[in-house]
Amino acid sequence: MVTAVLAALAVAAIVFSYTFPLERYLPAAIVTARQVDDLIRFMSATGSALYIFVAGYLVYFAIAFRAKASDAPDAIGVQIHDNRKLEFWWTVIPLIFVIILSVVSVRIWYEILLEPENGLVVEAIGHQFYFSFRYPQINGEVTDEMHLPLGVPVTLNLTSADVIHGFWVPAMRLKNDTVPGLVTTIRFTPRLAGRYPIICTQFCGVEHSEMDKQVLVIEDKPSFDRWYKGWQQKNARVSNALPGVAGQAIPLQGGDVAAGKALFSQKCTACHKLAPFSQTLVGPGLEAVLHDPAHPDLVNGKAANPADVASILENGYTGSMGAMPSASSNGLSPQDIANLVAFLNTLK
Amino acid sequence: MAVAAVHSGGIAGHIHPEPQGFVRRYVFSLDHKIIGIQYIITAFVFFMLSGLLAEAIRTQLLNPNGGFVAPGTYNEVYSVHGSAMVWLVIIPLLTGGFGNLVFPLQIGARDVAFPWLNMLSFWIFPVAGLMLFSSFLMGAPTAGWMEYPPISLQGAAGTSMWCAAIFLVGVSSTITGINFVVTILKMRAPGMTFTRMPLFVWGQFATAPLLMIATTALAAALAALFIERQFGVPFFDPTKGGSPVMWQHMFWFYSHPAVYIMILPAFGIISEVLPTFARKPVFGYKLIAFSSMAIALLGFMVWAHHMFTSGLAPFLQLPFMILTYIIGVPTGIKIFSWTATLFGGKIHYSTAMLFAIGFIGLFTIGGITGIFLAAIPFDLHVHGTYFIVAHLHYVLVGGSLMGVFAGMYYWFPKMSGRLLNETLGKIHFWLFFIGFNCTFLPMHWLGMLGMPREVATYDPQFTFWNRFESVASYLMTFAILIFFVNVLWSIRNGRRSGPNPWGARTLEWQIPSPPHYYNFKHIPTVYGLPYDFSQPLPYKGLEEELTDSPPPVAAGAH
Repeated sequence: MVTAVLAALAVAAIVFSYTFPLERYLPAAIVTARQVDDLIRFMSATGSALYIFVAGYLVYFAIAFRAKASDAPDAIGVQIHDNRKLEFWWTVIPLIFVIILSVVSVRIWYEILLEPENGLVVEAIGHQFYFSFRYPQINGEVTDEMHLPLGVPVTLNLTSADVIHGFWVPAMRLKNDTVPGLVTTIRFTPRLAGRYPIICTQFCGVEHSEMDKQVLVIEDKPSFDRWYKGWQQKNARVSNALPGVAGQAIPLQGGDVAAGKALFSQKCTACHKLAPFSQTLVGPGLEAVLHDPAHPDLVNGKAANPADVASILENGYTGSMGAMPSASSNGLSPQDIANLVAFLNTLK
Repeated sequence: MAVAAVHSGGIAGHIHPEPQGFVRRYVFSLDHKIIGIQYIITAFVFFMLSGLLAEAIRTQLLNPNGGFVAPGTYNEVYSVHGSAMVWLVIIPLLTGGFGNLVFPLQIGARDVAFPWLNMLSFWIFPVAGLMLFSSFLMGAPTAGWMEYPPISLQGAAGTSMWCAAIFLVGVSSTITGINFVVTILKMRAPGMTFTRMPLFVWGQFATAPLLMIATTALAAALAALFIERQFGVPFFDPTKGGSPVMWQHMFWFYSHPAVYIMILPAFGIISEVLPTFARKPVFGYKLIAFSSMAIALLGFMVWAHHMFTSGLAPFLQLPFMILTYIIGVPTGIKIFSWTATLFGGKIHYSTAMLFAIGFIGLFTIGGITGIFLAAIPFDLHVHGTYFIVAHLHYVLVGGSLMGVFAGMYYWFPKMSGRLLNETLGKIHFWLFFIGFNCTFLPMHWLGMLGMPREVATYDPQFTFWNRFESVASYLMTFAILIFFVNVLWSIRNGRRSGPNPWGARTLEWQIPSPPHYYNFKHIPTVYGLPYDFSQPLPYKGLEEELTDSPPPVAAGAH
């Protein structure tokens, strides 16, 4: 009887989990958001069904086996110590469930990881207390909104100019921290036009709470192109130099090639050969790094260009592809970086 | 006097004369029971202070624009609230407090192995607590209890004080851990084999190695943060070649096991309270004991599930997800076994029992959302949101704190010789239970919809539920006030309990309440598990404990 009631409640919870209109409260702005919703529904259904049985039997036993006034004051319960069979099954069934849940969640996670790699490359940089965005072919930084075209795969590189921030768009069901000195990547494909808040989820300072004012705009390709051209024109004269972490812009013009060459043999050749990209010593070969049309993207996911090469020289790199020291630990001044970039620019 | 030699089971058989004078008895005491009570009182004082901070948080969040305190102050308030609740309240209550008070009695020992170390570890604790709260005077830490660099490198001077204070609490914890491991290994009464130990002792035995081993990682991290802040050695600052993610690894290598430090002893309390009031043995003793050890071991292998958004390589994250799922298995075994313990019982509803059953109901919610959070795709959505706040409060308040309250109502007679008032106790339970659920249940939903944690202001669409939670949190505070009134009233006016008011079967209830400073006149011999109510008590040598016969000690003996 009790089991039947609990089973009915559990079925109701499962039906509720699978029919609840989650997207009415939180739109699914990217393709994988709906897969995360599937996982939420699966976990909510199984979790609430499990809870209904545990709490249901708990309450039932608690009421059914209470000491009654008719009992002798020293009455004792049934002296059951254990039950091998029961214990075996409530160890094995959860283990089987762990395997099922692992399969389900790994499958969805891989869908998130395996989003196309050749998408539009956008960079989001956390600042105290806003995010700025960098796009290919737009000089400098876009500082108000983040725009993305509908249906076009995106590779979003995240980093920070100061402290750790969390880049979260609830409608994307996806976030990642922006960590200074580290570039992390998330990939996704927008599927629903709209304006979605971008929220910081790592405490980053006194105005942390205010970092929920920016929005991600997903729009059709023509609108996106208009917005994109607008920023290209607006930023046409802006230097493409990244503001360094220390706040000093790196002068990319006027580097001294000879000084750069000398510095290269002094600081860089321990890890980099002047040979094609594939000839790895510790890091890749740097021959024609800036002038090889077939050169792979840099470690920060951007096509090789002077500003980003300078940024890597300044900030270093730590990640899945290894590690490179930053300018401060390598003893490079902003002028040294400019000289190195000028030298690398001569290699064709 | 030859009497002392008769029962000399090594060091345990040796009775020192009772210390005289208020200071030696109640201030710088070597007695584990007094030290336990000192821990409990001190921790409850810090509990009141950080509870007030919690109410400041909820009052701020009554309005989407805040306005109760400035955002900077708000950040200090929740950072100290979190740090104090973890390090000055829950951990000391469950290990130094109830651990000291109860488990040496349960294993038939006269004290812990190192009483002087025990006194030292207690006295470090209030000093560290005062240091932590004094950080308000110089600008308290603002980056939450996790203090991730680089933002914590920018924090006010109080952040360094925070490092020093938490470091000291860690020293205190480590000493306690060593003390408890040695005591349990070396000082059990004759016949008290591992498979005859009460489950609260198992809880402490699983916790103590975590205190010893994990806390050292925290100490290293804190020392590094302190040195970087004060002397500029770049451990964590990426602009100088440091790694901010290294802090997260070191912090969570401690703080995930710390979650089990805060829950395994509470599991132990529940495993004592349930059989006593259901009048039947705890179901599946061996699996409950074994699963505590399994949880403690697995607890060292899952720390990076707090770091799924930190930029780790995907193949490194995968094992952390699956190992975290696996922790659900031993935890599930415990929950199922406790539920089965009620089956066929004659349940007496004391307040302690209500809290124990409430614990199972609420902790299970926190456990299930914990499994949700281990799923990387879901964690990538709700990490750093109010969903996390809800989950951790279900585990630490619905779990650990409910366990503490169960322990308080259960062992208060052992501390004071008097019972807590049951009517006030039941009002306390129901108001707390309702207030708690109304405060924290809606937070799951807010987090899923987009409310981040650690914010002084929030999107106006979340106003309704935040006001609802704040009002409910006042109800919780009121319930806790009733608890304090109950304790203060009952300590003078409560009904006298006698040695064993609950008809419990573990060793601590077979001696007077409160026990003599030497605990046992003669160390008993143990013949079996205590939990079978149809059998006679499995102890021998307790005949004189409840009589007026003097303890076998020579006055002035060494």
